[in-house]
Amino acid sequence: MRACFSAVAIFLAVPALAETPDIGTIVDGHVLPGYRLLETEAMDLANAAASDCAPTSEGLRDAYHDAFDAWVGVSHLRFGPSETEDRSFALAFWPDPRGSTPKTLGGLISAQDPVIETPEDFATVSVAVRGFYALEFLLFDPQFAGDGIADYRCALLQAVTLDISANASAILDGWENGYGALMSNPGNDTYRTATEAAQQFFTALSTGLEFTSDTRLARPLGTFDRPRPNRAEARRSGRSLRHVVLSLEATRALAALLSEGDAEVDAAFQSALRRATDLDDPVFEGVADPGKRFKVEALRQDIVSTRRLLLEGLGPRLGITAGFNSLDGD
Amino acid sequence: MTDRRAFLSGMLAAGLCPQTTWAEAGSPDFLSAGLRPNGSYVLCGLNGNGEIVFELPLPDRGHAAAAHPTRAEAVAFARRPGTFALVIDCATGRETARLHAPADRHFYGHGTFSDDGDTLFTTENDYESGEGIIGIWDARNGYQRIGEFFSGGTGPHDMKLMPDGQTLAVANGGIETHPEAGRTKLNIPTMQPNLSYVSMSGEVVERIELDQALRKNSIRHLAVAPDGTLAFAMQWQGDVVAHPPLLGLHRRGSKEILLEPPDRYLKRLVGYVGSVAISKAMDFVAATSPRGGVVHMYATDTGDLLSQIEIEDVCGVAQTSVDFFLTSGLGKTFQNVLTGEKKTTEHAIKWDNHLIPV
Repeated sequence: MRACFSAVAIFLAVPALAETPDIGTIVDGHVLPGYRLLETEAMDLANAAASDCAPTSEGLRDAYHDAFDAWVGVSHLRFGPSETEDRSFALAFWPDPRGSTPKTLGGLISAQDPVIETPEDFATVSVAVRGFYALEFLLFDPQFAGDGIADYRCALLQAVTLDISANASAILDGWENGYGALMSNPGNDTYRTATEAAQQFFTALSTGLEFTSDTRLARPLGTFDRPRPNRAEARRSGRSLRHVVLSLEATRALAALLSEGDAEVDAAFQSALRRATDLDDPVFEGVADPGKRFKVEALRQDIVSTRRLLLEGLGPRLGITAGFNSLDGD
Repeated sequence: MTDRRAFLSGMLAAGLCPQTTWAEAGSPDFLSAGLRPNGSYVLCGLNGNGEIVFELPLPDRGHAAAAHPTRAEAVAFARRPGTFALVIDCATGRETARLHAPADRHFYGHGTFSDDGDTLFTTENDYESGEGIIGIWDARNGYQRIGEFFSGGTGPHDMKLMPDGQTLAVANGGIETHPEAGRTKLNIPTMQPNLSYVSMSGEVVERIELDQALRKNSIRHLAVAPDGTLAFAMQWQGDVVAHPPLLGLHRRGSKEILLEPPDRYLKRLVGYVGSVAISKAMDFVAATSPRGGVVHMYATDTGDLLSQIEIEDVCGVAQTSVDFFLTSGLGKTFQNVLTGEKKTTEHAIKWDNHLIPV
């Protein structure tokens, strides 16, 4: 019996027939500019916090918005350097259903924990108090606005912004010095073929859209009987809808490069974007209003159908089968 | 008096729901959830010839199921994070009971019966604390919930009853999720999966954790052989650059063995094993990767890779008398894949992740 089984040959991989877009163009024209912008904006943010750390400081708040915008513009590219040392989690810890961010921030502040004094130490604290979402609490939540904690809060703001800047630079460095070349020049241990690199980008595109529909939108939508507007992303700084728009713009650009300008794909993004920009509901308060709720639901549906179009149309062209199990396993 | 009343109501219940046997349900060898072309979901019984012996509607997408050891009764779990499970009489097609997860709990989609079929155990998430839970249900009594205990970790997924009939092996995948955050994984930087052996009273009697370098390898699916050999299958949550081993073998009281085929074969699994099974003679382990579209077959004794077979979107796998039976998300079933007499049957139903032996 054993001999019979052992005789079964090990087959070599048969390369899937696939159209392969130009990966170098995606790395140089989409990934690197996005992460360069993030590095620059994050540095500006750290400088702004160093010169004026009052949460109400206009310069600091502007820098926060600019840097956060830059992050959302690359937040769908969660693989490679962004995942090394959990950098993307340290930049963006959300959703946070158990409220770890305010809880842990409160703990640091009440203990006046000296762990924030050096960047090396700060890099060891929970990801819940690092990155943009923790920064938002410090800048916009009344819970952390008191004058009594001004000194510690100032040091904490500076520690968080420096840490954001260090992570942004580390991701860019990873892409510029190694990872980008692995993708652009496949035939290495990470990407054997350009198709594999394209498939990685496709996965990022699909996951990015799924995060927007299933988390950024579905989370505040809740159910008709129990809408949850307080769960909207970054609502304290009025950014919830803005994140949907920015991530749609970023994924639209990636989809255009991957599909080599497919008009149907672009039209689907355009329709979702138009609905988003027409929404006029920056933090999705409308989800609790039976008369307005459907607009948010319709936006979510648009994104779901855009993703389906990509999975059924573009995926197979890149050699990815829209399998029941492979796309959605557990 | 109370005893007498309980006895009578028991008689009454038995009379109302006559117990049917698996033979009356068409003698299925396996259960699998699936998707029909019209978009509706079903639970099916399949025999070893690849024929559907029953097809029963489900209200939503299923995941795994648990087959009662004697009665033609299947517990079909909704997909994570489902809050209900249906108990179905597979001979009549009737829903005979419905399990509702208690407040602050949801099912993970797997469960197992005790040897005598009197008790059902289910893997669950206590999502406010982030702790894994094993729910206990009285299968003699309309599936009343009768208790719960700690699963030994976070995110318990698959669970198997060990051959001693006294111990549950639990794959604590380590990933924390919360229904309000969709399927977003909340704790990847700190995840700590383990394989726990838990007694029926909830005592963790043995726990296996892999090296820290493999901390992001979510232990999710299990197969157990009659001699107590446990095969565990993992899903890698770390960087795509790494290709860590995704399968391991363990026996109580000894160190786990990781199955590490040459890199170029390991890569074909794309960091993801969907299901695992051990052959009846205990000499082979089969593991499927729907993402890679491959099945790997290993020798249990040496841990060597023996065969890599390409099947698009393959996921469900279970043992047959001398070989393995496989299902794919493209609607196909496969028999005798190893022995070279491969027979493929095409169905209109897309088969979901798991194939459960009856």
